[in-house]
Amino acid sequence: MSERPVHEHIKELSEVLVQLSEKVLTNFKDALHAVRHQDLQFARRIRAVDDEINAAEVHLEEQCLAFLALQQPVARDLRTIVTIVKINDDLERIGDLAVHIIERMPELGADIMDRYDFDRMGGVAAEMVRKSIEAFVNRDRPLADEVCQSDEMVDAMHRMVFKKVAEVMKSDGSNTDQLLAVLSVSRYIERMADHATRIALEVIYLVTGEIVRHSEDTFEKLIQSLRD
Amino acid sequence: MQLSAEATGTSQSVKKAVPDIYLPPERKKVSGGGVPHVAAKNFSVYYGEFEAVKKVSADILSRYVTAIIGPSGCGKSTFLRSINRMNDLIPNCHTTGALMFDGEDVYGKFTDEVLLRKKIGMVFQKPNPFPKSIFDNIAYGPRLHGVKDRKTLEGIVETSLRKAAIWDEVCDRLDKNALGLSGGQQQRLCVARTLAVEPEILLLDEPTSALDPKATAKIEDLIQELRGTYTIMIVTHNMQQASRVSDFTMFFYEGVLVEHAPTAQLFTRPKDKMTEDYITGRFS
Repeated sequence: MSERPVHEHIKELSEVLVQLSEKVLTNFKDALHAVRHQDLQFARRIRAVDDEINAAEVHLEEQCLAFLALQQPVARDLRTIVTIVKINDDLERIGDLAVHIIERMPELGADIMDRYDFDRMGGVAAEMVRKSIEAFVNRDRPLADEVCQSDEMVDAMHRMVFKKVAEVMKSDGSNTDQLLAVLSVSRYIERMADHATRIALEVIYLVTGEIVRHSEDTFEKLIQSLRD
Repeated sequence: MQLSAEATGTSQSVKKAVPDIYLPPERKKVSGGGVPHVAAKNFSVYYGEFEAVKKVSADILSRYVTAIIGPSGCGKSTFLRSINRMNDLIPNCHTTGALMFDGEDVYGKFTDEVLLRKKIGMVFQKPNPFPKSIFDNIAYGPRLHGVKDRKTLEGIVETSLRKAAIWDEVCDRLDKNALGLSGGQQQRLCVARTLAVEPEILLLDEPTSALDPKATAKIEDLIQELRGTYTIMIVTHNMQQASRVSDFTMFFYEGVLVEHAPTAQLFTRPKDKMTEDYITGRFS
């Protein structure tokens, strides 16, 4: 079966998306690094990279819209372009979360990062994003399912941070600004995992043509995973 | 003769799938429609030894638009033309299996072909008005079927031209030669001529392939106007046209009906890989 230029174009758009995901993930990891080391220069670079991510996101969306208008794709070509547009949006939002994290930098530091295990939590969320993109590249439904299941792990970590913060708040002399910053960072990482899950669900649509986002089955599986 | 679902090969998957979810807001369910109007069961068409349409089983649902797509030589026009027995004019053409229209055998011994073609009208790729006045073009069919009264004929001509969305453009020159109309107008005139004998089914064989985009849009709008009143089948090479105008799509390949599904399903998640390869242009 011959690949026509139009299909080469879809491949190129997919490759641009993968490159964008790598940039977003690196920036996110750098944000955690900047907070740990209180590195202002690093923090400035993260903002600059986020500007690049925003520009790339707009550019990729424009390319996809032009493709839809000019090529009028159908079937898996249509699903691929729609999926790229949606993942593109999720990646841009993850990029914003990295900037939100460094905005909380003044109240945080290495001791806080260790106390609340943010490197591990961030590592799990980043791995979910990486796997969801890998699932997109390889049209890998089982891997997408795995990402969806991992979301509960990050949710549990977030609940644990919440619990710890609540306990510290009850004690005298707690640093409210710092605790609010801790809650925010935990929430940002948890949202990143949510975006990874959304990407995985979009990959399931790409592979099967079924929109499972709000399906009963997904809900049941979620309930089951909570029980397990 | 009324055929049972089993005898007509009623495709339950297609029947069940007269689907709210697949119909965009402007394409609501047709009231009183959705029953098999044409039913093929193991239906084959041969040109001599060559089997051009191979054992097709399908239901064409009433008052919906069904598009037939497929590469050249796949049998789509042959299948369309077999529905009102236009293929009878081709020497050595014969059929096997069953093809039913409203429960009657299209190829039955006692079927009246003239009456059949009155009920199942056809419009061709190239507009083919008679070299007569616009009025006489439309009145030709009704006259052939015995309508003589001038007032009645005038009523039929106006109604048919209005239904074909061309009345406003020709009402003040009905006595002029139809060959003086533009290509798009001629094609709508041909639709009006077909409607004049009150058919139930319209067969359109690539009706816009000789027209410019503006005339094409008018024909597509017309198909939407007529949908809900007539069962429409359209053969087209234009994928976008099939996806724009039809409720159901049949994909033929080498005489075989590969897939028959709601159009929105077929163009977003076709079940057959061959369909997917064809509509995405990956065909080799």
